[in-house]
Amino acid sequence: MSLPNLLIPLMVIIPITCALFLNLLHERIRTVKVISIVVAFALPIIPLFANYGTHYFGGYAPLIQNPISADLPTLITGTALYIFHPAITYVYGSAQKLMIFILGIVGLFAIFISLYEVKKPSGVYIYLMLMGIASITAMLLSDDIFNLYVFFEIAALAQVGIVLVSKIKNNYETALKYMILGGIASPILLLGIALLLGVTGNVNITDIVYSIRNGLINPQSPVLLMACSLIIFGWLYGTGLPPFHVIKSAMYSKALPTGAALLQAFSVFSLVAFGVIIIRIFSYIPFTHVFLLAISLIAMVLGITMAITQTDFKRLIAFLAVGELGYIGAGFGLGTVFGITAGLFQAVNESIITALLFIGFGTIMYKTKETDMQKLGGMLVATPKSALFVLLAGIALAGVPPFNAFQSKLMLVQASLNSGLPEIAIIMVLMSIVTFMTFMRAFHTIYLRPKPVDLEIKNEKIPKITLVAMVIFLAICLLLGLYPHLATNFLQGLAMSIT
Amino acid sequence: MNIYDIILKKIKDIRMETGDNKPVTNIAASSMLTAEITLISSILIAIVILRLLNKNLMIVLAVLVFVLIFMAMPIMPKLKREQNDSLTSMNFYVIIALGIIVTLFYWGNLNV
Repeated sequence: MSLPNLLIPLMVIIPITCALFLNLLHERIRTVKVISIVVAFALPIIPLFANYGTHYFGGYAPLIQNPISADLPTLITGTALYIFHPAITYVYGSAQKLMIFILGIVGLFAIFISLYEVKKPSGVYIYLMLMGIASITAMLLSDDIFNLYVFFEIAALAQVGIVLVSKIKNNYETALKYMILGGIASPILLLGIALLLGVTGNVNITDIVYSIRNGLINPQSPVLLMACSLIIFGWLYGTGLPPFHVIKSAMYSKALPTGAALLQAFSVFSLVAFGVIIIRIFSYIPFTHVFLLAISLIAMVLGITMAITQTDFKRLIAFLAVGELGYIGAGFGLGTVFGITAGLFQAVNESIITALLFIGFGTIMYKTKETDMQKLGGMLVATPKSALFVLLAGIALAGVPPFNAFQSKLMLVQASLNSGLPEIAIIMVLMSIVTFMTFMRAFHTIYLRPKPVDLEIKNEKIPKITLVAMVIFLAICLLLGLYPHLATNFLQGLAMSIT
Repeated sequence: MNIYDIILKKIKDIRMETGDNKPVTNIAASSMLTAEITLISSILIAIVILRLLNKNLMIVLAVLVFVLIFMAMPIMPKLKREQNDSLTSMNFYVIIALGIIVTLFYWGNLNV
């Protein structure tokens, strides 16, 4: 096997191996730093060098690709067994390349900032971040629904861990609640997968889709419909769509800024990974699209209206992030190639912008240890550069040109109009306006109004790496805003293959 | 009493119920008012999608929901009270959502 193809599983194996190694070395600060920096650079670089293709674990390719299969009897070659996938399969295409690269960029800066913002970097914290990144990468690559579930669980535990090691008030309670709710949602997702396995006799997604489309099983089987509903319920938990939006936003707000930046990227890419599978397997059920649209609209409206009423800026950004997930889901719900491409593009954009906002607002926490907006003010004087970056990030989030979210939201609006659903387009525009208003209120309160007398601001300078990260995130936002085809060309293939 | 005063009173009532003694600021009241208008307008726009199913049903539902919303206003403080970090209420909504999803997919696809 050539090296570029070997890089497909290495995108998962390297961060997991290094994570386990770092966990053992967490007292040796220098070693932790060196290994973390090397792995952090590897995260976005490996996907750039990996070739597009398929990786079969154990080398067990489908029989049709095996030279010895020519001698097999028609008893085997004449059946679906001939084309079924016996191994866990990873599929690496252009969309996966872009999304894993973006996840790697967010991971790279989250790790760097966490290394330089604290005097004693924690090996355990980096371990959890790397485990989460590896899990989400595996979810994006995997064509095996059970393998995907395993990594879904690891990602959920890594998220709980990231919140647990963040020294923020009430973080233990929030992490515990997330685990308890996961205790309901994860077994239900697993039950859905088990039912799917029971009906189709398969866990490979391509094979399941083949079985349904070619009449090997009854598509209207009640067990299959039940599996669909249970898998969608698990998907809501993993992504933080309603009814899990409250706990998900609480998780973001109880993590350190670097952790929150990563957690939201995990949610966004989990939404994409499972969303793609739901569309691939269950798009023949018309109600699937209706449900995805409905839940996305509810997420948008609940997330953004709840954000307006928040006084804690981390919670405000967290609810806005949940609201933005609704846009991605709406793209999937529309079900057209253009709509899904727009949804995927919005996912890429949101993961960058929200990471920028969490890290940008994190500088306020760094300087004041305060997240309550009622106790903040006058921060423009203390942090002028990061204030500018945060302002631009907020403008990007609301979908103002020339930034990337403008392009993806415009595509989503166009996709809604093309699908004969102008109401969804109107709600999307309305929510963007309200997002802008909500963000400007927070920005005014924190940066522009007079500084409260009792607010203490530390004299410590914001680490340069934090500002560098913000500049690079903004540059990506601007680049994708001016040249959206740089992303959409990568994403369109996936959208076309699943519709 | 205008709608601003009603919202202000409702926020105060809910804060008293939850034991939050912070003063209600202008920003809090105007934010709640904005959220209220956003929520109501979004619901009413979303109802118009039902025109694809049945135009008469859409008109009846739009009028009905408008009346219900008007009677229940302000909705946002109540919604905020429900959307809290309490594990009990989160569990409640999670179970309700599970019930709705399973019913809609299982029963809805087989019987409609």
